[in-house]
Parts: sequence; C-alpha cells; structure tokens
Amino acid sequence: MSKAKRLFQDVLWDNKVLKIFAGSKSSVLDVLKSNPMFEDFSNSELKAIAKIAYEREYNPGEYVFLMGQPGAAMFIVFKGEISIQREGENGSEIELTKLKDGETFGELALLDDSPRSATAYVLKPTKLLAIFREDLVNFLEVKPELGGKIVKKLAVITGYRLRMTNDLLIQKQAELEKCREELLEIKND
Amino acid sequence: MIDPSRQLRSRVFYTLLFIFGALITIYLLAVLSPLILPTLIGILLAYVTKPLLTFLRKKGINKSLSVTIIILLFGLAIFGIGKKIYSLIPSSQQQLVIRVQMQNKIDRMYLELLGKENFKSKGNFVDELFGKQMEPLLASFNDFFSMDKKEAKKFMDYLNSDAFTENERSKILSQYYELRSFVFPKNAIKKEVKTADKSPLPKLPSLIPASKITQFFSELSKWIVMPFVFLFVLLDDGEIKKFFVGIMPNRYFEMSLMVFESVDRAIGKYLRGTILQSSLVGLVIIIGLLLIGFKPSAAFTIGIVAGISNAIPFLGPIIGFGAGILYAMIVEEITPIIPFIGKDAAVLGVVIVVLIAQFLDNTVFQPYVLGKAVNLHPLVVVLGVTGGSIAFGFWGMFLAIPTIVVFRVIISTIYKQMKAYQIIY
Repeated sequence: MSKAKRLFQDVLWDNKVLKIFAGSKSSVLDVLKSNPMFEDFSNSELKAIAKIAYEREYNPGEYVFLMGQPGAAMFIVFKGEISIQREGENGSEIELTKLKDGETFGELALLDDSPRSATAYVLKPTKLLAIFREDLVNFLEVKPELGGKIVKKLAVITGYRLRMTNDLLIQKQAELEKCREELLEIKND
Repeated sequence: MIDPSRQLRSRVFYTLLFIFGALITIYLLAVLSPLILPTLIGILLAYVTKPLLTFLRKKGINKSLSVTIIILLFGLAIFGIGKKIYSLIPSSQQQLVIRVQMQNKIDRMYLELLGKENFKSKGNFVDELFGKQMEPLLASFNDFFSMDKKEAKKFMDYLNSDAFTENERSKILSQYYELRSFVFPKNAIKKEVKTADKSPLPKLPSLIPASKITQFFSELSKWIVMPFVFLFVLLDDGEIKKFFVGIMPNRYFEMSLMVFESVDRAIGKYLRGTILQSSLVGLVIIIGLLLIGFKPSAAFTIGIVAGISNAIPFLGPIIGFGAGILYAMIVEEITPIIPFIGKDAAVLGVVIVVLIAQFLDNTVFQPYVLGKAVNLHPLVVVLGVTGGSIAFGFWGMFLAIPTIVVFRVIISTIYKQMKAYQIIY
C-alpha cells in the first residue's frame, strides 16, 4: 500500500472528529481493533475480517451454544454479557467465567469442529460478532497471509491457555501434595 | 429473562412472515417460471467456474480482473464453439444429400441381411422368418426419408452445382438411382404420390418471419438473465450466505453456517465432477473415433455431443451412440489408425468405442470423480429424467439429475446437522 493511501486511510479511520460525526455507536472495525487477537492487524486486514463477520443479537436467557454441540464459529462480545458454564456433577450449572465487551470465546472452533467444552449463556441483551471456520479456511486459500496471521494468533492463544492450564495444574498438584502431607501429619500424630 | 408473551408474539410474527414469504415465493416461481432455467444454468456455470476464480486469486490477481478474465474466456469459448457448431450444421440442401445417403445405406443393409435384390423379390431364411415383421419398420423409415417432388428438384439442382466434384456427383447420383431400383415399400410410394399431387397450402411469408423474430426476442429476453445471474453469483463475496444465515433464529445460527458450507461444497464437487466425467467420456470417444479412422471434425463433434449428453443417465449414452452410428453409416471413406478396421466395420468400431467409454465411465470415472454423490436409485433416475423432459423439455431432462442430487444433498445435510446440534433425535 502506498504511503499516501495509508495516510489517507489512517486519517479517515483514526480521525476522532470523524468519529464524533459518525456518532457514539462503535463499528465492527472498532470492536475488532480493540480485541487483543487483532491488535496488530492493518486496517485493510481488519476490513477483510469485518466483511466475513456475522453480527448477531441475543436476548437474556438465550444460549449461544450448548456444551457438546459441534463448534463452527468464534464469537467476540460486541456489547453485553455472556456466562460460560459447565454442568457440575450434580447436574447444576457451574459458571466458569463471565465475558464482557471486546472479549472472545469459542476460538477453538476455528481450528476444528470438536464438541464445545462449555455452554455460552446470555445474561444481558447482547450483540455478538461471529467468525465462521470455513471463511477462515477460505482466507487461507485466497488471502494466505491474512489467514496465516489469524491461525498464528490462534496458536498463540491456545499456547497461552495451555501454559495457564499447566500452571494451574502444577499449583493444584502442589496444593494436593500439601494437603496429603498435612493429612499424613495428622494421621501420625 | 425471556418474556413469554413477547416470545409468543415473536413466534406469531415470524410464522406469519414465513407464510407470507412462502406464498410470495410460490407466486413468483409460478409467474416467472420461464426464468427458472436460465437462472439455474447461470448458477451452475458460476459454480463450475468458482475454482478458476479461486485459482486466479491465489495467483495474486484481484477479483475484478479475475472475473474479467473468466468472462473473456467464456465469451471466446462460446464464440468458438458456436462458430464450429454453426459450420457443422448442414444446409437444407446438404441435408437432402445426407438423407439420400442414409436411406441408401440402411435400405442396402436391410436388403443384404434379407438376401433380397429389391423389396419385392424373395430373400433368404431371415426374410421368411422376420421379413413380414421388419417391412413396416423399413416402410416407415423410407416414408420419413423419402423426398417429395420439390425436394427432389432442389436435390438435383444442388447436385448439379459446383459444390461437388464429378466423382462425388456420380457417386451420390448412383446412390439416388439405386434407391429407385430397391422399389419402396407401399407407405413410402404413397407419400411421394400424395405430396406430389396435393398442392401445398399457401403460406403467409410476411407473418412467418415476424413470428420468428418475436419468438427470438422473447427467448433472448429470458436468457439475458443468465449472464447476470452468472456474474452475480461469481462476484458474490458471501453476501448471499450472509443474507440467509442472517434470517435464521439464533438457535440455528451455527447449524445454518455448517449446512450452507456442506451443501455448497457438495454441490460444487458434484457439478464439477459431472463436468469432468462428461469431458473424460467425450475425450475417450474422440480418441477412439480417431483411432478407427473418423475425420477429426466428425470425431470431435460426436465426442462433444456424446460427452455433453452423457450427463443424462441412460439416454445420454444412446445419443452418443446414435450420433456415431449415423456418421459411420453415411461416411464414404475412413483412414483407420488401427489396421484391421475397414470401412464396413466402422459401425462395429463405433459400438466398441462407445462401449469402452461407458465401461471406463462406470468403473473408473464415476467412482473416482463423483464418488457416491450420484448413487440414485435407477427408478428415481428414470422418473426424474422423464419428469424433467415433460416439465422443461430438453433442458429439464438435462438438469433433472443434478437438481435431484442437489435436493438430496440439502435434505441429508440439514438432517445430519440438526442431529449434530441436538435439535432433533
């Protein structure tokens, strides 16, 4: 992209005055831009992603997806609140986390259609952005650079979550070991 | 929380909207039924071309330029094929010569088989056994091919023109006069006398061309839709899918994405597979016909016809077979690459070539190119092709099986995905 074109685009996209004229309603592009997954993507790349993104509106009490269903899309919270839940041993729902504006969930569905590991439940009137796996596959064919960039980001997120899980596992193992030692001490006493 | 009364209102609203939409769609389909075929063909062409567009875009060519290249290629192909087909269509005078040659060949084969000199003389045992049964068939055949006085005059005038060498002229003339010596069965003679005696009804020359022009323009106005549909589908960047997924309730959102993708992939694969399969059948026939000594122009024409018609189950191979046999019957000279095939064995050669093509189609092309996508029950195929031809003529017959396959893919995919998304058991 030429320098002049980039400058022109940046002026158009980043100009605060233009944003005021456009109103306070944040656009799909803004949501994508504010998402850590797409933070270092150029405007033209974000525009290409915005083109394939689906905007969906949900009412409180609706489910975005249920645990066990095949995953087909990744979701970004445009506006609203989502509860990620899992069924507990006694059948009750355990809330794993709450997601708010700009946060992402269901990313692994962009890699394969393995069943969802949790349920996404809508708490407040919510607007979501969805990116479909097959559109990403199409990107990899037609726009391999952009497709590759997204897949790389997904790998980073997956790696980060794996590290977090490992840390948590180590921490829990240490706690378990501590508990065991304490129990042994009590037994010996 | 979900307000139950609001939910009920929404359900009533969406149900009414759906019924209204369905009624409008049915009405539009009924009113615009002549546009269904051009629209379907436009979509079909776009589907077939999509991989080429993806290929060009992968090479770094932007979308507008890629589409322009595809349209230019299409234009050139249609122009080239159209020109070739136009040049191959015999003029009304050439058709008369072909009629004489065909009639001569078939009558002679018939007489040889029955061991007769002419239709009135006594023949061999085949004549005694089947002669009576075969005669009406031959009579109706001769009735179909025989010329009336006007046509005979036209034929003679054409034969005396500069279009033929002396050798060719005498050959065709001898075939023409030989026909007389066969002594036609009753029907054919009757027809000649009938048409010669009765003066034809006066035609209205001013009205006929006018109606033809009107007919041409009405056909053109229908088919003009096709390139637009083709372009619209080819240029589509997922907007069609977005629209349909957009109107789906949230509950079915992910499922509808999956259904769209699976159906799109399966239909594309099937249509491209069918075209590849037909091309391979056509290619085998072209090579085979060239090997048995057909002229390249004839081999290519018959191969293309056989390849295209191969898309019509059961009937397709017969069309290709018929075209080859007809040519083998009227051909005067062949220069076979395979030594043991002579002019007299040309018909047998065509039979072998078509059988080899069909064998390869059934054992190699269909299983490997199409997979199981086309495994339809033979009864469904027969009913589909017949129904298609009744409803939409030739094109209906041609598109019946792809349409059935497409519907089957849609229904089976929806069923599979609804089960996967725990919507049904």
